[in-house]
Amino acid sequence: LTRSVVWAVLLWPCLVSLGVPLECKDEQGSIILCASISKEKLLDRVIQHAELIYRVSEESCTLFEEMFVPFPMRSQRNQAGYTCATKAFPIPGSKSEIQQISDKWLLHSVLILVQSWIEPLVYLQTTLDRYDDAPDTLLKKTKWVSEKLLSLEQGVVVLIRKMLDDDMLTTSYYEQGVAPYALQPEVLESVLRDYTLLSCFKKDAHKMETFLKLLKCRQTDKYSCFLH
Amino acid sequence: MAAPSFLLLFPLGLLSAVRSASLMDPGSMTSSDPSVQAPHLTGCKSREQETFRCWWSPGSFQNLTEPGALQIQYWKKNDLTKEWKECPDYSSSVKNECFFNKNNTVIWIKYCVRLHSESQNKTYDTLCFELQDIVHPDPPVALNWTLLNISRSGLNYDIMASWEPPPSADVSVGWLTLVYEVQYRRRNSSHWKVLEHEFGTQQSIYGLQTGEAYEVRVHCAMRAFNHFGEFSDVIFVHVPEIPNKESTFPVTLVLIFGAVGVAILLMLIIFSQQQRLMVILLPPVPAPKIKGIDPALLKNGKLDELNFILSGAGMGALHSYPPDLYQDVPWVEFIELDADEPEPGEKDNQSSDSQRLLGHNNHHTNHGCFHGLSIPDDDSGRASSYDPELPDQETLMLMAALLSCQPNKVEPCLGNCSHSSTPSLDVLEVPCPGLQAPDLPPEGGERHLVQTQLGGPQSWVNMDFYAQVSDVTPTGGVVLSPGQQVGAPENTPTTKKDKKGKMEGGEEESEEEEERRTNKLKFQLLVVAPEAGGYTTESSGRQMSTPDPSSPGEVYHTFPPPSAESKPHQEAYLPATTLLGDYQSPYILPDSPPAQFLPPVSDYTVVQDVDFQHSLLLNPPSPQRSPTCSPQPPSKPLPVMPIGYLTPDLLGNLSP
Repeated sequence: LTRSVVWAVLLWPCLVSLGVPLECKDEQGSIILCASISKEKLLDRVIQHAELIYRVSEESCTLFEEMFVPFPMRSQRNQAGYTCATKAFPIPGSKSEIQQISDKWLLHSVLILVQSWIEPLVYLQTTLDRYDDAPDTLLKKTKWVSEKLLSLEQGVVVLIRKMLDDDMLTTSYYEQGVAPYALQPEVLESVLRDYTLLSCFKKDAHKMETFLKLLKCRQTDKYSCFLH
Repeated sequence: MAAPSFLLLFPLGLLSAVRSASLMDPGSMTSSDPSVQAPHLTGCKSREQETFRCWWSPGSFQNLTEPGALQIQYWKKNDLTKEWKECPDYSSSVKNECFFNKNNTVIWIKYCVRLHSESQNKTYDTLCFELQDIVHPDPPVALNWTLLNISRSGLNYDIMASWEPPPSADVSVGWLTLVYEVQYRRRNSSHWKVLEHEFGTQQSIYGLQTGEAYEVRVHCAMRAFNHFGEFSDVIFVHVPEIPNKESTFPVTLVLIFGAVGVAILLMLIIFSQQQRLMVILLPPVPAPKIKGIDPALLKNGKLDELNFILSGAGMGALHSYPPDLYQDVPWVEFIELDADEPEPGEKDNQSSDSQRLLGHNNHHTNHGCFHGLSIPDDDSGRASSYDPELPDQETLMLMAALLSCQPNKVEPCLGNCSHSSTPSLDVLEVPCPGLQAPDLPPEGGERHLVQTQLGGPQSWVNMDFYAQVSDVTPTGGVVLSPGQQVGAPENTPTTKKDKKGKMEGGEEESEEEEERRTNKLKFQLLVVAPEAGGYTTESSGRQMSTPDPSSPGEVYHTFPPPSAESKPHQEAYLPATTLLGDYQSPYILPDSPPAQFLPPVSDYTVVQDVDFQHSLLLNPPSPQRSPTCSPQPPSKPLPVMPIGYLTPDLLGNLSP
């Protein structure tokens, strides 16, 4: 303990003397350790995460669809298609409505979305492992997404703290997470269940990205964001 | 309608088409009769994720072609009621199109659209989707290109194509995130080259050829959904050929030919001057040798001849020493210096001037010397340092390599190594490479080549390498004798003997000297004049004392009397070897020298002059010499240069 204290004492002047805000180069997960990061930078990083997660989720969905989903059931055009689990709160869908959502609400929505998907993705990983011929890339992607989701959650928490000065507990929203993902009762096959899971996750990732981008637009130029 | 065949042709790999949110007519799969087509929805598309349109086809049913017979109905998932609603807007401009404006569109929520006939209350087709899945963005606008660079040859160039996102897409807000794909092809080609997806609004195209016309187009898609919209307008890219590229071509040709020519020239030069170049680039490693001594002798172990030569019998061989090496200090002075500093160790040998000369080398700059090389030197009394600047150790090494014919015995100090005054000189235990004399003479013969003194006071350079002046004839000739007593039939003057004995008496080698004397040690001092291959004309050394002319195979250096002998006569048996050359061809003298060879006398002789043939003259006609013909008694230092010694300045006045 004394050693760590000594190190802290020794290093603290260095940080102070630099006079430059410490750049957090690590992932969002380690942002908390950083002394200071600007809001804009943090938002950029969060958006990067969301974009990546969205892209990877789309690729995973495609991979899964290619491998396991029979042809007639693809691309969600089946009328008797899946329905993603509804969230605890409604998310507006129209652009106009979304644009009217407050920053706070946007952030909270993102956080809720992120937190709601942490457990299902872990569950998805276990189910995918049971597949005999699941491609490695698919497994890697889903694993990667789970990890990034956690980082995203942490980043959004910090962002909320910074932007809204709202210190809140992160665990309060876990109750809304659905551990076994509720699916339509008629979908019994595990393949379809997993496919639905991936598709719904892709959609929600898109939501996160859209919200965050809208938020960013507001930060840079408030007026133009509402023009359309 | 191609939709049925379109669906039937779907392989599993065409997932992009399958995933197409345009939702090309799922309902037509049910039709079994290709000629009869039921009404169906052809697709729904959104351009900007804010509105969307749906199209349908009435099919071939006749009774449904009239307008109004078919309706499009839809419902959203989040509708409170589960009713199908009528299409809000049948577009007037396009037939069979239903337009949903922004007020009715939400994303992330499922829509279902169906083609319904009210009259028949029959649904022909249904399509469900979510708005974000059916986005096909408008084509980008303002496609333009700029030239990046042109290759050196002028054949290729790179361009940067840039565009702007479609105005309908709300990219700035972040509502849509687009990915672009650029394609290009040659004007007359039918195959478009597709470049990688680009998230920015510009893309560089590399490797276009000048003079060719290209077409470039771009389209975009919503990211991660990969439904590319329509292509933009095609732009034409054309860069005319640069004429000056023609002119650079001959220049390069000229340069290439020039380089080739120079290379050929160099090769010719090298081949023609190969020998000289080899000498310059790879100078021949000097073989171990002593100047004036044939290296072959060293190798073959003809120690007798070697000793003979080195002892000074063949004095004439050493006249090739470059004059400039000689100091201007007269030899006499050197001797005086020597006399001033008697060696501590040599008490007995002070009397011997030769001893002194031999032993006083350490006081002088000429430390390096060859034992036995009676090269005229300013300190020629010392046994012949051919290279005055040569450091001791080097000389030691050199001499050791050259002269040590015994594996164990190394001649540590061949030059001006004073036996007593150079205690620091270490005897080098250097094996004698190539100088091993398998047929060494008997033990004594080994010794007399070079004396090796381990540690301590170095034994004086083996007297055997010097042609010791044993006597001076009245005519001025110097009688030379090898280092040790060879048992010459002629009587050696006792003084010489004593001197000789005294020279080495003080050292440990006195007994060795005895042994040496008993041996037929013959130095072979090979002096071969390169020009004439003549002989040493040692005028003064005519009366040389060769130890044993009858020794078979011995080569000895005889010094013909200066006046009596004629050159040809000298040439008869005196080979002269220039010491300057790197290579000294041995010149075996089979003939016996004149019978006037004397018993072994002094161990060395001094070259006093070099004649026109570059032969060493041991008795120059210079009157500078002291008239004393006989060498000084050993006890006395030599104040003046005795006859038979060559001063360095005399070398300059080479008298033929």
